[in-house]
Parts: sequence; structure tokens; C-alpha cells
Amino acid sequence: MLKIFFGDMEAANYGPSWFKYNYHPEWLKEPFVQQMIEDVDHSRYVDGLVIDSPVLGPIPPERLSGGLKTLIMIYERPDLIFDATSCGDNCAKWLLEIGKQKDVLVNLNYLMTFKAYEPFQIYIENEGKMVSDYSSFLFIAAKYL
Amino acid sequence: MHGKHHIVVESENLKYEFEIRRNITVIQGDSASGKTTLIELLQLHSRQGHRSGVRVESDVPCTVYTGDAQQWLNFLQVINNSIIFIDEDYSFVFTREFASLVKQSGNYYVIITRRPLKNLPYSIQEIYGIRTSGKYHFPEQVYHEFYPVFSDKNLRKIPEKAILLLEDQAAGYQFYRSICKKTECVSAEGNSNVFHKLLEIKDDQQIIVIADGAAFGAYINAVVRAAESRENIALYFPESFEWLILKSGILNNASIEEILQHPENYIESSEYLSWEQYFTELLEANTRDNPYMQYQKGRLPDYYTNPKNVQKILGVIPEELQQIIK
Repeated sequence: MLKIFFGDMEAANYGPSWFKYNYHPEWLKEPFVQQMIEDVDHSRYVDGLVIDSPVLGPIPPERLSGGLKTLIMIYERPDLIFDATSCGDNCAKWLLEIGKQKDVLVNLNYLMTFKAYEPFQIYIENEGKMVSDYSSFLFIAAKYL
Repeated sequence: MHGKHHIVVESENLKYEFEIRRNITVIQGDSASGKTTLIELLQLHSRQGHRSGVRVESDVPCTVYTGDAQQWLNFLQVINNSIIFIDEDYSFVFTREFASLVKQSGNYYVIITRRPLKNLPYSIQEIYGIRTSGKYHFPEQVYHEFYPVFSDKNLRKIPEKAILLLEDQAAGYQFYRSICKKTECVSAEGNSNVFHKLLEIKDDQQIIVIADGAAFGAYINAVVRAAESRENIALYFPESFEWLILKSGILNNASIEEILQHPENYIESSEYLSWEQYFTELLEANTRDNPYMQYQKGRLPDYYTNPKNVQKILGVIPEELQQIIK
């Protein structure tokens, strides 16, 4: 289940820096992580610690985008809370996908759009409510953002 | 600082080219568009100059803040006449202290953030995403450019009978209220309330939002999201109501027309936090000596609602909207 907390949250971690100094090389071998690398960064996992970016060439994991690093942290460390504000709108579908597989709580400080993925299942932690359409999502978010 | 600044940042593999023309520019958009890489390139150049392998072309210094989150004020307050880039991981940009610094600053700030900067009145037109153009294959140089994320209008689905939602009850509201025959005018009582007000509107009511684009940057994302989620919302964001009057030609002043062509050349960042403030002051200064025209933001003189002047002001707004208001 994807759970979102809107607004300031002391416990929320910054995904890009967490990833940079805490990632495990084996995470990159997981098919789900490789799908996110291809979709969000338009890059391809090669082997070991090498990712092939069409813009930057062969890069180490540290040079993946901030949004993707945060997605990987959310997926791999569901015991922690990350600030998904680092994730652009192109990460929305992956947050929902992660939520289908694991219970994750993320912090959000902007109105990411989930409109294209209705009906969805997002639990709004601030109010203890489940929402499945974007209008309801906005209605609650408006109180906190 | 004032003026438009053309910036080129490039290495053999990457090139960024863009223009900065107001004191606050926000960069946001999808992940993996190259925001952080731009900051890294500027940072390298800032530290090592031409030895970095990065070339920066700019008529003013470009500086990246990379210091301690507690020390930003000490660093930023001694910089002048520069463009300062700040990456998304600094939360001080959301504080009132930072807004106070920007208010009297001789610098322009480029801030990477998706979270709105509610203490700063920035323009919807200076919120950019970054995109690459053409096909790219490493190691060929990839060209990155800025594009505006939001438009000043979204009137495609403009309804024939609608409610006009204005930010507040100031002169702009008074103008529309005095001329609207078929259309009801409602005040949101503050730009931060526009989004909340929109969500209260029933599905069968058609609504047009008019707000000052020059200072609506912190709220535009929420309002656009609301408009995307429903079919009954249209949007129009001129720079400000004062800009509409100045643009209408009512004042018949050639120097004002010249200013409006390139406002950035006349607006000093240390004097005006937003272009909205400048346009208000310009209008006040140019009508001060005429008791009939003397502009006051809080109370619109009758001069601006006489039929001849109404026609001139309406002439500036999009035609689709004119049809609704008349």
C-alpha cells in the first residue's frame, strides 16, 4: 500500500543522498529496479555498477537521477520514510507500483499528478483515508500543502 | 541587478543554454531532465574555472550555493550582482529569512524546487522545465534548453456562462465586477485561497480564474492540477491588473510602451521583489498628478470603468474572455 503524508515531516529522509552512500550493488540486478531505470532515466543497466545513459554515457549508480534514487530507496527500504518531493511526475506510476508490492509511507510536498492512473489506491496518512481518484486526492492535499 | 542574461554552460558532451530575466527563477519538472547535472557543471566551473573542462558564458557571475545549511545567510548576503543557483536539497529557501534576503538583493536566484516557495511572489512565466532537443547518443553533445512549464492562459474550454474568480477585492476585482453583466464575480480573498475556492465549486458551475501571473508562481501548480482534474475550469494569468491598464494605452505614454516591451531592463531586483510591484508603482507614478486618473490599488477610480477605457483594457485580454465578460 502506498501511503502519503502531506507537509513537513521531520522523519522524512532525502532519497538522493541516502542512496549515494547506502545503496547495495545487488539492488541494481533486480528486474523491478531495472524497469524503473529504463522508464525514468531512459538508461539501461549493463552489469556490476555500470549503467548506460544515452546522455551521460556509462555512469555509476551515484549519477542516476535524484527522482530515481529516491524511488529505489522507497522500494528497497520500506522501513524508512523518504521525501518523494524529489520525484517528478514521471515517478508517479512507479510509486503506485511500489505500493502494490510493499507497504510504504512517503512524504510529499507538492501536487504530484496521479490523474492518469485512476482508479488508484493511495492512503492519506494525515487523515487516515483511502482515495482512489485524483479529485479526492487534491481535496485532501489542499488542506496540507 | 536588472536585465536579461543569456547563459551557456557546456562541456564536450553537454550543453545548456537559457535566459534569466527576473530575480526569481524556479526549475522543476520530471526526474532525469538534467537539473542536478546543470548544478554540478556550474559548481565545477565555479571551483576550478576553465581548468574544469566546463565553459560558462554569462555577462554576470554564476554562483552555486553548496555550503552548510546553517550558513547560507553569511554566504549569500555578501554576494552582489550575480546569478545564484540553489539545488533542491536546501530547505532554507522556504523560510521568511530567505525571502527577506531576496527582497533587498542585488542578485537573481535560480532555485530548483517542486515544492512551492510560498514566501516569495514569483512569476508563473519564470517556472521552467529542462528538455533535451534532437536525438542524442553519447558522446555527441546533448543540447538542453529551458521551457516554460505553465502558460498564461488555458481558455480552450471557456464556458459561455461562468463565474469569474479573482484573487482579492482590489482594483482588478472592482473593474470586472463593474463591467460584468452576465457573469458573477467572486473574490478568493487572497491568492493562496484560489485553489481551495476552486475545489468548493460544484461540477455543473463553470469558472474562470483570473490572477496576477507575476506573483502567482507558488500557487500555479495547484490551480493547474485542479483545472486538469475537472472540465469546468478556465485560467487567465496576465502579469497583473496594473499591467493590463498600462498595456491598454489609456495613459498614452510612449515611454511606458517602451518599458513594457522589455520590463527586465527597468526593474531593479533590489528595489522590487516582483514585477507586479513595479507595474503598480509605475501606474501610480504616471497618474499621480491627475485627480481623475490617480490610481489606487485598494479603490479603483471611476475613470477606469468609463466605456471608452473599459474597451481599451478589454482589448488587451484574450478575445474568448472578452465575449464572456461583456
